Amino acid sequence: MLSQSLSLIVFRKELRETLRDKRVILGVIVSPLLVTPLLMGTFLFFVGKKTIDNREKTIEVGIFEEAAFPQLVDHLENQDAVSLKPYSTREDAENAVKERKAQVAVVVAEDAASAYQANASAPLEIIFNAANENSFNALSRLQETIRRFDREALAQRIEGAQLPEQFARPTRIERVNIATSTSAGSFALGLILPYIIVMSAAFGSIQTAFDICAGEKERGTMETLLVSPASRYQIVVGKLLTILVISLIASCCALTGILVPISLGVEHFKGMIGDMISFNFVSVFWMMLIVIPLALFTSSILLVISSFSRNQKEAQTYIFPFFSIVILPAMLSSILGAESQLYTAFIPILNISLTMKQIFGDVFDPLYFGIALGSSLIYALIAVRIAAAFFQREQILFRT
Amino acid sequence: MIIAENLTKTFRDRKRGLVRAVTQVSFTCEPGKIFGLLGANGAGKTTTLRMLATLLEPTQGSATIAGFDIQKDPEDVRRSIGFLSGSTALYGRLTAREMIAYFGKLNGLHGAALDRRVDALVEQLEIGEFQNGRCDKLSTGQKQRVSIARSIVHSPPVMIFDEPTSGLDVMTSQTIMSFIEQCRADKLTVVFSTHIMSEVERLCDQVAIVHRGVVAAEGTVEALRQRTGEAAMENAFLKIVNSMEVEDA
Repeated sequence: MLSQSLSLIVFRKELRETLRDKRVILGVIVSPLLVTPLLMGTFLFFVGKKTIDNREKTIEVGIFEEAAFPQLVDHLENQDAVSLKPYSTREDAENAVKERKAQVAVVVAEDAASAYQANASAPLEIIFNAANENSFNALSRLQETIRRFDREALAQRIEGAQLPEQFARPTRIERVNIATSTSAGSFALGLILPYIIVMSAAFGSIQTAFDICAGEKERGTMETLLVSPASRYQIVVGKLLTILVISLIASCCALTGILVPISLGVEHFKGMIGDMISFNFVSVFWMMLIVIPLALFTSSILLVISSFSRNQKEAQTYIFPFFSIVILPAMLSSILGAESQLYTAFIPILNISLTMKQIFGDVFDPLYFGIALGSSLIYALIAVRIAAAFFQREQILFRT
Repeated sequence: MIIAENLTKTFRDRKRGLVRAVTQVSFTCEPGKIFGLLGANGAGKTTTLRMLATLLEPTQGSATIAGFDIQKDPEDVRRSIGFLSGSTALYGRLTAREMIAYFGKLNGLHGAALDRRVDALVEQLEIGEFQNGRCDKLSTGQKQRVSIARSIVHSPPVMIFDEPTSGLDVMTSQTIMSFIEQCRADKLTVVFSTHIMSEVERLCDQVAIVHRGVVAAEGTVEALRQRTGEAAMENAFLKIVNSMEVEDA
């Protein structure tokens, strides 16, 4: 009981000190809760505006030899979002695209109408500038408009030839999507959220981990603590709990910073994203629960690095291997499918990331989750043991 | 009471191989007395005190502090000592009061008893004015007073001072020396390491001169002066250390 309370005394003191550190407050709480939503909101606003502009804004289409294909010209003139401007030469039309007076230009062949009427293909040339984003966008919208013209013309030709409607359609495909709009939206979030949660759980507590161990050695307070009745194992447990709690706070704040603007902005950006993004709080709850063994594992590794280092600067130099340990499996989780081979459940970090993906993709596998949870806890305990062993080694503890 | 018997500490160094930091150091320190470990930098004073404080494990030998064996009962030993060195620092983001209370809690004080003890120390060491100020904002003298309070918050029967005035100005050093004298007056067992002769002459009832990890001479300040025939303690120290160098050569 006493041993537990000494760990708790160390934990409470470390947490109090950490939460007074402006760098921690800024990095772990303020930035994800305020800066991230602000950046996301700004980004979504401009992306949304651009998407809507691209979809609805009238496109300027230059045309040369419009008299050679009156049927197409009629079709284009009837479109609300198309503004036609005739040019007297092909060069003028091309220059208009080059000088951005028109976004695209259609060059009609002299024999276009006769070919069209003879049930052949009317030759058309579309001039666009691939280096101009607006021109490229206008190209795809113009092609879609011409495809509609083609479909109408094809229907008339089939009717004229007294052929059945199915003549031009050898197969008839009907797509049946069994995903609800919510699960489809969750799937989209499941691609990015595990990555973000893993990153924030692993990296959110770096400052704290390095401060409460390597920093303590550096400032000369470690000796004071070691000469107290708390055993080294109790000190390790107290410090580890602090790093773990900060990791979990970082994950919660990162998650809140993303989900709150999404939930507030989904309606506003419905026109842009449709049902691409949605989530339910049950999935979020499960995700926060299974991030605990992952955070315990990464916190223990950070404690190992911090207890081995002479000072915070030295600890920073060991951070790059740590980045690799975390980032590679997290990135792999974005590439691998949620229903991965069972052996991946033994790979730390990847296993938890994939379990999160399963939760969001409605393919949760209890066996996979059990193995992932069990193996993550074992890895975390091994890392805790190593950290505790470092605390027992005089050569490491009194390195200056 | 402190009884050290043949304390020895060796460690492996990549460049130097097996290093003997302390070799068979023995001494006894009684309550109400100040025992001084006098030696140059690197003589083995800090290693000896760290073994007594259970921070380092002896390679050979043993010691008891307030009746507790440093190897068998390390937690009881730590509960029985106050440790103060020139290099120990405070937690910058805790207030002076929180700092004292934290170490009180680690030593088993809680609730009203803890509050009473902290209040008493705040008054005794005149910390009241800055008790709620963060430690990183305190002056060196204020920090040292908080360090003293931190080291005695649990009323230990034994005090260990490892070069406590190292790097401090004259005024702050005086505060520390007065505190050490107060410990003697309060009948605590005090062991004190230094390389400053004037501190030894002022404070120590018994002195062990440590050189290259070995006790070269032991006795009262007066006995060491008589033994070497030197009036100044500094000269007595140099004579003893030089004679040891000659013997080794």
